[in-house]
Amino acid sequence: MKTEVVGSRALREDSWGKVFGQTKFPADVNLPNQIYGVVVRSPHPHARILNINSEEAMKLEGVAVVLTANDVPHNSHGVLFRDQPVIADYVRMVGDPVAVVGGETMEIAREAAERIRVDYEILPAIFDPEEAMKPEVPPLHPELQSTNVLYHLPIRRGSMEEGWAKADVVVEQVYKTQHVDHAFLQPEAVLAYLDERGHMVVQTATQYAHYDRGEIAHALGFRYSQVQVKTLAVGGAFGGREDISLQIIAALLALKTQRPVKMENTREESFYSHSKRHPMTMYYKTGAAKDGKLVAMQAKIIGDAGAYSSWSINVLRKSAVHATGPYEIPNVEIDSFAVFTNNPYTGAMRGFGAAQTVLAYESQMDLLAKKLGISPLEIRLRNCFQVGSITATGQELTSSVPLDQCLAKIAPYFRREVETP
Amino acid sequence: MKKRGIGLGCAWYGTGYGNGFPDVSSAFVEIHDDGSATVLTGAVDVGQGSNSIFAQIAAEELGLRAEDICVNTADTDVTPDSGTSAATRQTYNTGNAVLKAVRQAKSRLLIYAAREFSCPTPEGIELKSGYIGVKGDPSRRMILGDMVFKARLNGERLISAESSTARSTPVDLTTGQGAPYWPYSFGCQAAEVEVDTETGKVKVLKVIAVHDVGKALNPTQVEGQIAGGVTQGIGYALLEELELQKGMIKNPAFSSYLIPTALDVPKIEAYFVEEAEESGPYGAKGLGEPAMLPTVAAVINAIDDAVGVRITSLPATPEKILQALAEKKEELG
Repeated sequence: MKTEVVGSRALREDSWGKVFGQTKFPADVNLPNQIYGVVVRSPHPHARILNINSEEAMKLEGVAVVLTANDVPHNSHGVLFRDQPVIADYVRMVGDPVAVVGGETMEIAREAAERIRVDYEILPAIFDPEEAMKPEVPPLHPELQSTNVLYHLPIRRGSMEEGWAKADVVVEQVYKTQHVDHAFLQPEAVLAYLDERGHMVVQTATQYAHYDRGEIAHALGFRYSQVQVKTLAVGGAFGGREDISLQIIAALLALKTQRPVKMENTREESFYSHSKRHPMTMYYKTGAAKDGKLVAMQAKIIGDAGAYSSWSINVLRKSAVHATGPYEIPNVEIDSFAVFTNNPYTGAMRGFGAAQTVLAYESQMDLLAKKLGISPLEIRLRNCFQVGSITATGQELTSSVPLDQCLAKIAPYFRREVETP
Repeated sequence: MKKRGIGLGCAWYGTGYGNGFPDVSSAFVEIHDDGSATVLTGAVDVGQGSNSIFAQIAAEELGLRAEDICVNTADTDVTPDSGTSAATRQTYNTGNAVLKAVRQAKSRLLIYAAREFSCPTPEGIELKSGYIGVKGDPSRRMILGDMVFKARLNGERLISAESSTARSTPVDLTTGQGAPYWPYSFGCQAAEVEVDTETGKVKVLKVIAVHDVGKALNPTQVEGQIAGGVTQGIGYALLEELELQKGMIKNPAFSSYLIPTALDVPKIEAYFVEEAEESGPYGAKGLGEPAMLPTVAAVINAIDDAVGVRITSLPATPEKILQALAEKKEELG
C-alpha cells in the first residue's frame, strides 16, 4: 500500500517542547498553598508494626499531618491482586511505606519523617527463592497461596525420551540474571488536589492513567467519575511506572488535609518505590542432532517475585512461552516458577520475562554450534521459526515471521574476519 | 592484551497482554470545520513516540500532515481507556483503534462528499493534500475544511468512537498449550566487543541490529527504539545490578548503580525488515521491548568469541571475566 505520512520521518510532536525545555514533567507543576508529602519506609525486610509514635514529629512547626495504615479507607492496591498495602502495618520488604508526613515545606516534611519512631517486631526473612519455594517455609501471602510459589507453569510438548534419543550433542548449563532497576531519569513525582467539583485530581507520570484512577478510587472510596488522573510528560518508564508508587499516598494526603499535595522522590526513594526486573535462575538442557536440528529442550526457570505479586504470574508465563527462543523444538519440557521472597518486589520491565531467557537460549545455541562444528549463524538458520512453524505451546505462526530475513541482513557481518587491533 | 570478538543474538517476543486477557484500546476522533482533527486516546506516550504515530495514522487517512492532528492522551476525564503503555502494544493496538476511529469519522464525510460531487459511490472519493475530491477528476475537489463545514451545517457529525482488541488464548495450566500472544516480533543483533584480558573490561565497539517491524510507520522512531534498546541491553549485559544485603539496596544511587552513559554507547547500525502483519495498522507490529532483547546474547557470545570464556551470570563484570580467564588458564595447565 502506498502511503505518504505513514512511513515518513515526520517530526515528533513533542520535539519542540523537549528541545526548548517547555515540556512539563510532574516535578514541574505546583499549586499555591500546597503541602509536601514524604514517606517513611521500613528498614526491615519482614516485620510487624507494633506502634508508631509521631509525637515528636507533630511538635515540629509546619507539620500538617502524619498518616499511618489506619488512615487508609481501603488499604490495598496491585495490578493482578490487591496484595500490596498503601501504607503497611505488616512489612514484607525493605522500603514498604509505614507512615506518611505532610509538611509546609519539603525540608519540614523530611525532618518530621526522621522524628517518627516505629516499633517493629522483626520476623524471619527469606531472600533465596529456591529456599523460599520449599513447602515447609511459611508463606508470605497465605491469602494467595499456601506456599511461596505464586505460580508454576509447565509446558509439555512431544516426548522427552524420544527427543534425547535423537540428540547427538547435548549442552547443559545454569544461567543466572540479576535484579535490575528501570533507572528512568525522572524520579516519581505527583501533584494531587481536590478541585472545585470535589473531585480528586492527580497529575503524575504513569504508564496507565486509567489503572491509576481505579486504584486511587478504590483506596479512597471515590467513584471513578470523581477521580481525574492527568498524565504529564513521562521521563522514562520501561515498566517501572505500571504499579502504583506515590499516587494513592498523595491523594490521601490531599483528602485528609483538603490542601494540594506535592510529592517528589529523591533517587534513593525512587529505588524503593517501584518494582525491579525479576532475577532468574535458569536450568537448561538442550539437544541437537548431527544435522544441526534441535531435538529436545528441558528448562526450569525460577523467578524471584520479591515481596508482592505485581505482574509476576504474567512475567514467568512469558519466560516459559519464550524459553525455546525463536526455534522449532519438537520435544520440550519447561517449568517456570514465580516465588515470593522478602526481596524488593519485581514486576514489569522491558522484555517482561522474555529478556532473561535470551541469555540462556542464545548461549545454548552457541555452545551447541561449537559442539556440532557449525557456525553460530548456521545453527540459527537451520532452526529458526518460519511461517507455519509450531511453538512450544503448540501455536502455529501463521504470518509475518521474517527472522530468516533478519538473519540474511546480518549475515555479511559474520562472513568476514574480525580485525584484531 | 585486548582481544576482539563478534557475537550473534536472536530473540522473539509475543506482543500484547496475551493469554486471552481482553487487550482493548479505544480512541475518539473529531474532524473539525477547518479540516484539522483531534484524536483522544488513553494511551500514554512514555517517550516512545506513540502520540506522533497516532498523528501520522490520522493524517494519512485524512490526507493531512501529522502536524494538522492534535493527539490528546491519558487524561481520564477526557480520553477513553486504551490499556497500558507496555507489552509493546500501543502502536499495534491503539494504532488500530485510531485507524478504525478515523475511518469511521470520515465515512460519513465520504458519503456526503460523494453526493456533493455527483459521484455514485463514496469509494470514488479521496482525501489528499488537504483536499477532498473525486479520484481521477481534478475538477471535482474542495478544500477539506470547506466540505467538513458544509457537511456539519447539514447535520453530519464527523465524530467517532472505536475500539480494537488483540487476539490470544490462555495456555492450559497443565500442558502450557495454547496461542498466548499475537503478533510475535523477531529480531537479531550482532555485537563486536573488545575484551581487555588484564582488566577484564569489555568495551562494545559496534552493534548491528535488524528487527522485524511489520511496517515502519516512522523509520526515525524505529531507529530511536533500537538505539535505546541496544543501550539498555548493554547495561543489562555488562553494568547493571542491584546489590542486595538482606533485602536492603546497597547501591540506590547512580554513582554506584551503573547504567550506560553516552561514552558507553557503541556505533549502532539499525536496520528493519518489513513483512506486513495483516492484523496491524498498515501492517505494523510493535518494537518497544524486542529492541533490547538480542543485545545481551550478542554481547555474551562476543565475549566468548574474543577470549574463549562463557559467562553464565549477568552482568558480565570485569571480576567475573578475570575469574573465568584464570579458571581457563588453570584448565589448560
